[in-house]
Order: sequence, then C-alpha cells, then structure tokens
Amino acid sequence: MSVVTITNVTKAFGDVVVLKQFNDEFKDGEFITLLGPSGCGKTTMLRMIAGFEKPTSGEIKIDDKVVSSDTLFVPPEKREIGMVFQSYAVWPHMNVFDNVAYPLKIKKVPKNEIKKRVMDILETVHLSQYAERMPSQLSGGQQQRVALGRALVAAPKLLLLDEPLSNLDAKLRESMRYEIKEIQRKMGITVVFVTHDQVEAMTMSDRVIVINHGVVQQVGTPYEIYRNPANQFVADFVGKVNFIKGHAKDHKVTLQGIGIDIPYQGELEGDVIVTIRPENIKMVSKEEAEVTGKLSKYFFLGNEYDCFIDINGVSVRVVVPSVEYSYLQPGQEVHLQLRDYIVHK
Amino acid sequence: MIITARIFNVEKGTKEDKFHFDIKWIVILVIIAFLVIFQVFPLLYLIVRSFFPEGSFTLKGFQRIYSYALNWTALKNTIISAGLAMIFGVLLAFPLAWLVGRTNMYGKKFFRTLFVTTYMVPPYVGAMAWLRLLNPTVGNLNVFIQKIFGLEKAPFDIYTMGGLVWVLTTFYYPYAFITISRAMEKMDPSLEEASRISGASPLKTLRTITLPMTLPSIVAAGLLVFVAAASCYGIPSIVGAPGQIHTVTTRIIDYVYIGSQEGLTDATVLAVFLMALALIILYVSTVPIGKKQYITVSGKSTRPNIVDLGRWRLPITILVSIFAIIVVVIPFATVFATSFTVNMGNPLSFSNFTLKYWKTIFTRDAIIGSTKNSFLSAILAATFGMIISCTMAYLLKRTKVKGKGIPDFLITIGSGTPSVVIALSLIMTMSGKFVINIYNTLAIMVIAYIIKYMLMGMRTVVSAFSQISPSLEEAAQISGAGWLKRYKDVIIPLILPSIVAGWFLIFMPSFYELTMSTLLYSNNTKTLGVELYTYQTYHSQQTASALASAILLLVIVLNWVLNKLTKGKFSI
Repeated sequence: MSVVTITNVTKAFGDVVVLKQFNDEFKDGEFITLLGPSGCGKTTMLRMIAGFEKPTSGEIKIDDKVVSSDTLFVPPEKREIGMVFQSYAVWPHMNVFDNVAYPLKIKKVPKNEIKKRVMDILETVHLSQYAERMPSQLSGGQQQRVALGRALVAAPKLLLLDEPLSNLDAKLRESMRYEIKEIQRKMGITVVFVTHDQVEAMTMSDRVIVINHGVVQQVGTPYEIYRNPANQFVADFVGKVNFIKGHAKDHKVTLQGIGIDIPYQGELEGDVIVTIRPENIKMVSKEEAEVTGKLSKYFFLGNEYDCFIDINGVSVRVVVPSVEYSYLQPGQEVHLQLRDYIVHK
Repeated sequence: MIITARIFNVEKGTKEDKFHFDIKWIVILVIIAFLVIFQVFPLLYLIVRSFFPEGSFTLKGFQRIYSYALNWTALKNTIISAGLAMIFGVLLAFPLAWLVGRTNMYGKKFFRTLFVTTYMVPPYVGAMAWLRLLNPTVGNLNVFIQKIFGLEKAPFDIYTMGGLVWVLTTFYYPYAFITISRAMEKMDPSLEEASRISGASPLKTLRTITLPMTLPSIVAAGLLVFVAAASCYGIPSIVGAPGQIHTVTTRIIDYVYIGSQEGLTDATVLAVFLMALALIILYVSTVPIGKKQYITVSGKSTRPNIVDLGRWRLPITILVSIFAIIVVVIPFATVFATSFTVNMGNPLSFSNFTLKYWKTIFTRDAIIGSTKNSFLSAILAATFGMIISCTMAYLLKRTKVKGKGIPDFLITIGSGTPSVVIALSLIMTMSGKFVINIYNTLAIMVIAYIIKYMLMGMRTVVSAFSQISPSLEEAAQISGAGWLKRYKDVIIPLILPSIVAGWFLIFMPSFYELTMSTLLYSNNTKTLGVELYTYQTYHSQQTASALASAILLLVIVLNWVLNKLTKGKFSI
C-alpha cells in the first residue's frame, strides 16, 4: 500500500520552476531520501507533502486520500503527519514534556494517556530524565530528540525529516543516523528524509531519489545509486569519482591521454566518459599492471590514503587501505588495474 | 482582524485566494483610512494652507518667515540652539558610548543604564531643574559658587542662549548615546581585532577603524538630536521664553494662543517649515546610512574586544562620574528637593521643609482630574497604538499582501513630524471645519499621541516577529494546531514581552506629554503635562516639582515593572 502518491507535481515560484513533473509512490514503512544539492527542489517537495507549499500543478495523495490538487487543498494541521525541522523548531517557552505533548493536546487525548505516551516516546528518544527541562537548557542534539519525539508522539503514518542532522557535530550526526533508522524500523513508520549529505542517504534509506535543478536524476536503492549511477551528476554527487574521457569502438574504450584500451560490453560508439570510483582502481605489482603512473600527491585519511596519480598528464584519483600501503612516497611509480567502471555518453 | 485573514488564507483552496486578499485589504484599508483622515489629511491641509492663506496661491507666508523679525529670530534661535545641542550632544555621546561599550572603565553597566534612563525623563523636568540651579539671582548653584569664590555676580544665567543650549544638550545627548552605542554593538569586533593584529594601538584603532565605521551612525545620531531639539517645546518655553529667546515651537504656540487670522497663518507657515526640515533631515539620515549599516553588521561574535585603559582607568571613571553627577544626579535631586522646600530663597533644611506640596498634588481636585485624564488618554493611545502595531507587524512579517508598506511608511512619517506640527494640523482640521469635530475632547489628544508615538511600539513588535522563525509556527501546524491554537500557544507567548514593552513605550511619553497637549487640551481634558507646566510658570514651582518628582518615580517604577514582566529582556 502506498502512504504517499505524488503525481506530476510541478512547483514554480513566479517564473522560476523549482520542481518539474515529480512522480513517485512511497510505500508503507519505506525510508525514502530526497538527495540533492541546496536549491535542487528537495525541500520544496517535502514542504508540499507537509502542506506548507501548494503545488503549481499535480496531485498529492496521503493514505489514498487526495490532500493537494487543483481543486482541493488540505492544510498541514489536518494531514496528521510528523515533521522534524532543520532548525528543530522546539518552542522555547515550553518545557520538553509540553513540547512533546503538544500534538496529543491538540487531539484532546485524555491527560493520563498523554502522560503515558509522552513518557514512552521520551524513553524512545532517550530524554526521560529531561522532561521538565526548558529547551534553552538542552544541547543541540537533545533539542533534536525533542523535535523527533514531538513528531512521533501522535503515531503518524508518515514522518518528514528536513535535514534534521545538518546542525549537529560529526560524531552526534553519526549516532543520530542509526538511532533514527532504528526508531523507524521499530515503529514501522514511513519516512521522507531530505538531505544533501550522501552518507546519510546511503546509510539510512531504502530508496534514494536524487534531484538536481528540480528534475529527478535517478531513483534506486543506495547500492544502485552508488554502483550504477544513471549519469555523471549522480556519480559525482554520490561519493568520490574519476571521469576519464575516452573513445568507444568495437567493444573497447580507448582512454584519452592514458592511451590504454579497456574492454566494454555496451553499445555506445564515439566519444564517451568513463566513470570509475577511486576504490575500484587497484594498486598492483608491476607484473599485473594495466597502466603505470606517478604518485603526485596523497593524503592520509586514517583508514585509507587518498592518492592522486599522474598518468601521462591525466590525473587519476585512487583510494587504497592505509595498512597495506604505508610505504607510499610522493614521486614513486605505481601500477594500476581498472575495475568496475561505467561508460556514459 | 489579523486572525480572520490568516484562517482564510490557510484553510481554503486556491480558488478563494482572491477572497482572502480582500480581508487583508480591508484591514490595511482601515489602518490607512485612520492614518489618512487623522494624519495625512491634516498635514496636507497645513501645507496647502501655507501656500493659500487667503484662498489664492501666494508665497507671502514664507516671505514673512524672514521679513517679519519675530519669525526670523525664532528660526535663527531654533537652528542655533538645536545645532549647538547637536554638536555638543555628539561630542559627549561618542566618547561615552565608546567608554561604556569598548573599554574596561569601572561601572560600565551602571553608567549605561543611567544615561539610557535619562531618555525616558520628560525634558521639561530638566528645564525646571536648571532653572532652579542657574537662575541669575537665586539659582542654588549660582549662589553656591558665588559664596565659594566670593564673586559679586552670579557666574551663570540660565535665561540665555547658552542656558538653552546647555539644557537641550543635557537632555538630548542620550538620543545620540543610544544610537551610537547600538552601532558599536552591531559592529563586528573582528574588524577591530584585525586592526590590532596588524599592529595598531587601541587609540589608533579607535581613530582609523571604529570612528570611520560608526561615522554614518554618528551623523544619524547628531541629526536625531538636532530634530529632537528643534521640535522641543518644553525646554525653550521654560528656559528660553523668560529671557525673550523664542524658538519656532514657542512662537507657533504663542500664535495659536493669540488666535488672530494672521498669527495662525504665521504659525502654519512656521510649522510647515519645521516639518519639512525635520522630515528631510530624518530622511537624509536614515536612507543612505541605513544601507551602509548593513555592511558592518555581521551578527557573529558579539563580544567586542575590550580596550584596557591602564592607568587612565580610575581618572576616566571619576571624570564620567562627575559628568553623571552634574547632568543626572544634581538636576533630579534639585527637583526632588524643591518639592519639599517652603521658601525658595533658602536651601532645603529642617526649618525649610514641608510636605504640603506633595499633599497638594494628591488632594487637589484639578490635579487629580488631570492625572486621570493623562492616565486615560495614555492607556487609550497605548492600547489602540499596539492594536495597530500588532496588525501591521503581522502583515509586514507574515504576509505578502500588496500595499502593506504604505501604513508603515505613514507611521514613520507621523513619528518624524514635530509634535507641535501634528497638534496644529489636528486643531485646524478636526474642529468641525471638515465634518469631524473632536476639538476639546480627549479623543483628539489620544489620536495625536498615537500618531506621534506608535512607531516605537510597532518597531518593537516587528522585530519580535522577525525573530520568531516561521518553522516554530509550522511545527505547531503540523502537530495539528489551527490558526487560533497556533496564535494562542506559540506566537502570542513568544511576542508577549514585546507587546508589553511596546505598550509601555507608547504609554510613557503619552502620559507626561506636554507639547501637543498644550495646544489640544480644554478645561475638561487638561493633562498632567499641562498642569505641571502651568504650575511651574504661573503658580508654584514647588507644586510643579512635586508633580515632576511623582512622574519621575512613576517612570522608574514602570520601568522596573516592565523589566520584571519581560524577564529582563526589556527596559527603557
């Protein structure tokens, strides 16, 4: 069953079209991520699902009920959705308990039940002992949990997350990622998550929708998006990547500058771009080498080295595990094999 | 009205969009109509009348500004006194603002509060105090200095241009102090830090970075002092008039009191001239400077680097203390002491002590009546002013409705117009000549107060609104709250302190207002300011002093209440 159905949704502000012909169905219990650079239209899509923006055209259904179309518009407060805002939007004049209890009070849930449900949800977001605190006495991460608790307390079918992790520090961001994912799994809730951070998209999503300039670029599982990007934009936006110019002919691609031929099973002919992830270029012994280059510079990242290798004037990026390659020196000769590449026009 | 506009906008579909538009338009139109009837039309009438005094176009009126000696002297006096007050005011305010904001002088917070608080004191209180201190024959300070140095003649005479400038300066420099302090607070401290790290000394940094960066604000501050001093009536009428130093404001009010047709024309022309002067100066000082200020605002770190005064720390603190004693403590203490003095010729002592003037102000029917009038009109002005302010703040900050800038613009113009001009324009148009006759009623005063003081309330609420992120409201909406609940649970609690503060900001100046009330009061609608002025000039300075002291105490108490109510966020 679909929790959200979006049909031909377009949004324009004046003459500027920020989202073009968006179509998708979000299934029950699915974790959907809208991924893209800032200004790509992902937040606008989220706000249209919430009801804070009206689509210029198209239709949105939640739970098989039309909430937005040319003739009908259900305001946000009638949509029964949970939402976490980028700035958390925790009300500064209410304590943690009152913030979280608010949606239930609106629904006129009996007092003792409110208390029970709020305490349950505070347990879930690890804030049980902070119920009486004011937001100003909480850290950013804790305010974040308050916002999450408030969004979840009324047990909505749909939870919208608008870059909720972007204001947290790196360590906290990582633990919140797993926590949100865990909560989602436990509650079986459908989540629409907006982010520009590809790692967040990879680790949390069942399905990622990559958007650029208001146009959907690719829809797929994190694995598909990473391993088989539909185009250069997706490949570049999700992870590190090398683009090498080449010429395709007779199931072979000749790499420009580098000068070698690599096998190719596709149908393209003529000028192409070969997309290859840095970890798919192997550093091998001289005997196994497909191509040889010179290590021009490299950076120690802890678990790995980020290497820039010069092959006949073409710079190629290679990532290798740091334990195995601790002997690397700038200027030294390295031997490479290319694996798992994609050829685009 | 605000709320209806909101509900329709959010809850109905696209098709009714035009309909919601209409409701917001009605709200705006009501406000605009109020401003047009009671502000724009009277002021325009004043301008038209100054060109058509007898029905046909003539510049004779303006010619009389310089051809008629009485007018010309008044204009000269106004420009000289306000100009000098501006120069001295800035010369005092800049170093004080710097010392308080950027150095390690002792007692910075105390001095800051002290200088800012003087802003809330009615200017005529200062005039009364200095009159008592520097009267050429019996002034306390004069007598005191004469005794110490064995002088034959009093060293100072308050009834001179010098005296007028002195009192104007000591009462209007806080305007400049507040403006310059705010600019210094807003300035990104890293700009100064960059200068220090480049090798400049604190003084060189002050001269090459701080001063030029705050120059637009200093100019604005100076012009603000000029306009305030030129529009002032209380001080020149108490200090200047006895010495035959007339200014434009005192002249206008004299003409109105005389009431002859010719005098009224002179008053109109002078008023139009004063209004043009004030509005042009305010426009010049806000437009380019407003733009420039944004460059220096960074909003990042707010902790300025503090200049160590070193061995000058104590001497400078002492100097500032002496200044504070002369400008703040002595005048207020004098007014307070005068209210207990039996014989004004002698200093306050046990044998010269009485409570009868305090008893008078709490028992005499006329004074009680005036106090009631002032309370009533100030409460009405503050309440109506805040209703308009809140509506306008909502329209400005939360809607995209067209035309919302018009009332905002008109309100700004109203507050920039000198009080005497507003009052004159209301007299000339609201006394039955054009359908409406509210002359001799409390309503005409309430309207005048609203026009003059509403801006302060509006600015307060607008800034509160802009500090509330829309997502706070959206979070309530997504939680299921309709517009009424959103307002009740989120918006109102968050802006309430500002609404309270804005209310007081309109209430206080309205409560002790003198200039407009002087022109607009009738026997049944006499206000506290007028009562006090009458006692000061004609009856008993002690009674006036008791009244002034009572007003001062009230201002201090209200300020304290405001501070408590808004949890320290606001005080004046």
